[in-house]
Amino acid sequence: MATDALDPLIHVPARLRIVATLAALPDGDALSFTRLQKMIGLTPGNLITHLRKLEDAGYLSTEKTGNGVASRTSVALSNRGRSALETYTAALRNLLAGL
Amino acid sequence: MDETTTGDEGSEFDPQAAARLLETTKRRARRQFEFPSPLLTVIQAVALLAAYGAIWLSVRGQNPYSGPSGAALVELYAFIAVASVAVGFEARRARAGVSGRSSRQQWSLAIPLVAAFLAVYVLMGALRYDGFSYAIVYGIMPAAGPLIVVGAAMAGYAAAREDWQMLGLSVALVAVGAGSAFAGPSGVWGVAGVGFCAVLVCRAIVQVWQRRA
Repeated sequence: MATDALDPLIHVPARLRIVATLAALPDGDALSFTRLQKMIGLTPGNLITHLRKLEDAGYLSTEKTGNGVASRTSVALSNRGRSALETYTAALRNLLAGL
Repeated sequence: MDETTTGDEGSEFDPQAAARLLETTKRRARRQFEFPSPLLTVIQAVALLAAYGAIWLSVRGQNPYSGPSGAALVELYAFIAVASVAVGFEARRARAGVSGRSSRQQWSLAIPLVAAFLAVYVLMGALRYDGFSYAIVYGIMPAAGPLIVVGAAMAGYAAAREDWQMLGLSVALVAVGAGSAFAGPSGVWGVAGVGFCAVLVCRAIVQVWQRRA
């Protein structure tokens, strides 16, 4: 099945779950790294790798607050990431409708 | 496929599996962030029905109206406390790790709600001071007043955010509050309690329906 129309950055199970989970939050909200990890079920290392790829593409933003043990990293889907997911969903729908 | 790997195996990822995963993830995430949950809404409905019902049982048949008994008031506050604990627990579960605009908006909603709620009790004191009867001050006002003013404050907030479900709920509360006042100082507790409970149960049904849609 031709999957060229699907955004390769999102069309990976782990990243699809990350983007879909963050998209469930209202626009302007961020999720802590810890809770995202708990919800997705990835190891911290894997999650960081996927987040970095999505961040490099401008699909999400991360923010670190505090220092030492009190430090906290939050992840939020950007407008670009939200519209990329919408485009991906539409492409997926078209692809499946054509079957 | 191992979803914990970091490899970009997108081309091997079947679109049908992707569609299923997307749908499942979205639904699961929405459910985890959802506040209040349908279960909490039903708990609130039952607690409010029990609280208003306890007052109604203690005042029905009073002529002239002399107000609820001390035991009924204790029961009222006990149910409110139980509902508040359940709300706090649920809020912590749903909002854990979430920060940003919606958290700030929830705090900003609390301000007009608390102000409106307290205003009802200040108004009750003023009415009593001005010589209004027990039936108005300790019957109609405390039963219907909070629903009207808190409902109106919530409706304004919901309209500004274009949250139509919350707007519908708020307007229904205002309608229940205003309509229940026709039932008189004793009956208002029963009518408002049943009406409030019915509105919340309807909300829970809508929430469940939205989850499945």
